[in-house]
Amino acid sequence: MRLGFLLGEIWTGLRRNLSMAISVILVTMVSVFLLGLGMLAQRQADTMKGYWYDRIQVSIYLCTDGAPQPNCNEQAVTDAQKDTIARQLKEMPEVDTVFEEDAQQAFDRFKEQFRNSPIADTVQVGDIPESFRVKLKDPTKFAVVSSQFEGAPGVASVQDQEKVLRKFFQIINGVTVFALGLAALMAVCAGLLMATTIRQAAFVRRREISIMRLVGASSWTIRMPFLIEMLIVAMVGVALAVLMLWGAIQVIFNLGVNQVALSQAWIGTSDVLVVAPWLFGGVALVALLTSLLTLRRYLRV
Amino acid sequence: MIRFENVTKRYALTANPALDDVSLEIERGEFAFVVGKSGSGKSTLMRVALREQLASEGTVMVAGHDLAAMSSRQVPRLRREMGAVFQDFRLLPGKTVTQNVAFALQVIGKPRHVIRSLVPETLDMVGLADKGKRLPHELSGGEQQRVAIARAVVNKPQILLADEPTGNLDPATSLDIVHLLDRINRAGTTIVMATHDSAIVNAMRRRVIELHEGRVIRDVADGSYDPALTPDEARPDVADVTWEPEANEDIDPAAGYEGGA
Repeated sequence: MRLGFLLGEIWTGLRRNLSMAISVILVTMVSVFLLGLGMLAQRQADTMKGYWYDRIQVSIYLCTDGAPQPNCNEQAVTDAQKDTIARQLKEMPEVDTVFEEDAQQAFDRFKEQFRNSPIADTVQVGDIPESFRVKLKDPTKFAVVSSQFEGAPGVASVQDQEKVLRKFFQIINGVTVFALGLAALMAVCAGLLMATTIRQAAFVRRREISIMRLVGASSWTIRMPFLIEMLIVAMVGVALAVLMLWGAIQVIFNLGVNQVALSQAWIGTSDVLVVAPWLFGGVALVALLTSLLTLRRYLRV
Repeated sequence: MIRFENVTKRYALTANPALDDVSLEIERGEFAFVVGKSGSGKSTLMRVALREQLASEGTVMVAGHDLAAMSSRQVPRLRREMGAVFQDFRLLPGKTVTQNVAFALQVIGKPRHVIRSLVPETLDMVGLADKGKRLPHELSGGEQQRVAIARAVVNKPQILLADEPTGNLDPATSLDIVHLLDRINRAGTTIVMATHDSAIVNAMRRRVIELHEGRVIRDVADGSYDPALTPDEARPDVADVTWEPEANEDIDPAAGYEGGA
C-alpha cells in the first residue's frame, strides 16, 4: 500500500471519528499526566534520599554570638563546652558517628544547598551555626540524645532531621501512591476507550473494510490505518501530558519551591525529559496491544 | 476452476443445511447461472466459493486452492484472483467512480502508474468513461452496478462471482448488465451468476445449475429456468419436495428500481 494512500485513509478516519479521537487524546493525557506525576514524585524521593542518605540524623546546633535561644545567653559556645559535648556524645552507646561541622563548613553547605536561590547571597560565614551532626545506631533513639543535650551549656537547639525528612518522604510516597493509583484507573479507562474507539472506527468504515476484504487486501493493509490512527492519537495525548508535566515542574519547583525551601535536592525539568521516553514508549505499547487485540476480534479476513 | 465435492454447509441453530451434499464443477471460461428461489442456497454457495464461509463438510477447490486447507493469511491472494458483485452494489459513497475502482487496486498495493492505466481502461470497458468524476448517488442503479463490475474486474481476476447483480434493476437494465458480464466472459473470465430472474437466464441460454433447499436439482448446458416448474418437473428424481411459486423475497422494494418504476 502506498504511503500517500495510507495517509489519506488515516486522515479520513480521524476526521470521521473526531470526537472519539479527542476523547482518547484527553483520557490518555490525564492518565499519562498522573502516571508522570507519580514517577516524578518517586524520582524526587529518590533524589532526596540519595542526598540525605548517610547524612546526619540528629543535629546539635551550638550557640553563636547573639543567638536568640535563652540557653545561649547571647554568647557563642566555648571550646570547653564543645569538648564536653563531643566527649559526652562519644560515650553514649546509642551514637554511631559524630561529625563536627564548623561555621565555614556550615556556610559552604548552605551555599551549596541553596545555589539556585537568592537566599544564598544574603548569608555570611557565622550566620549558620556550628553543629555536631550525630548519626545514631538506631534512629528511633533520638529522644535519648535530645533529652541529654537540650538545654546543655553551649547548645542552641537539637534537631532530628530524620524526623523532618521522614514526614516529607511520607508525603511524597503518599502523592506517589495516589498518583499511580489514579493513573492505573485512568490507564484502564484509556485502554477501554481505545478499544471502543477502534470498534467504532471499524463500524464507521465497515463498507471500506468489507470491500478491502473482498478485493483481497491483506489483513495488515486493513489494520494499518487503525493502528497508526490509534498511535497518533495516543502520542498526541502523551505529548500534551509531557507538556503539562513540564509546566507543573516549572511552576512548582523552579519558580516556587527554590525561593523558600531548604534543599537543593529537587528534581527539575530535565527529569521530565528522563521520564518522557518511558511514557511515550509505554503508551505506544498499550495503544498497539489494545489495537491489535481489538482488531483481531473485529477484523477477521 | 471451481469445484465443489459433496459440500454441505450448516449454519448453527438451523435444522436444514443451506447446502446439502453439493457437487459441481465449473470449467475455466464458463458462464454459469445458479438459480433457485430465495433460501435455496445460492448466496451460501457464492459465500463458500469466496471463502467468506467455510464448508461444514466436503471439499471446495477454487483456482487451484483447497479452501479448507488455506490459512487466513493466504485468503487475500485467493480473493485477488476473484471478483465479486452484489445486488446492493457496495460502492463507497464518498468516493468518485474513479476512486471507487482505484480503491480496489490501491489496497492491494498496485503502483500508481498501473492504477492510472487500468482504471480508465476498465471504466471505458463498462461504458462509464465519461462518468469517472461522478459520485455513486449521482448515478442510476445500472450505472452503479457497472462501477461495481469495473471494480470487480479491474485487477483482471480469473473468476467473477455475481450474486443477484440485477436484483435491484429493471428488466432492460438487467439485460444490459448481463450482456456486459457476457462480454467479460468472452474475454476469458469465468463467471458464476446467482439469480432468480428467469427472463435473463432464458435470454442467455447458458449453463444453468438449479438449487432447491440446498441441493442441486438440475444442471444443464444451454439451459432455461422456469420457477413455476416443480422440482418434480425440473428433475423427476426429486419428487418428495413441495414447491411454491417464486416469491421474489430477495428484492428490496425500498431500494427502488431504476427508470422510475
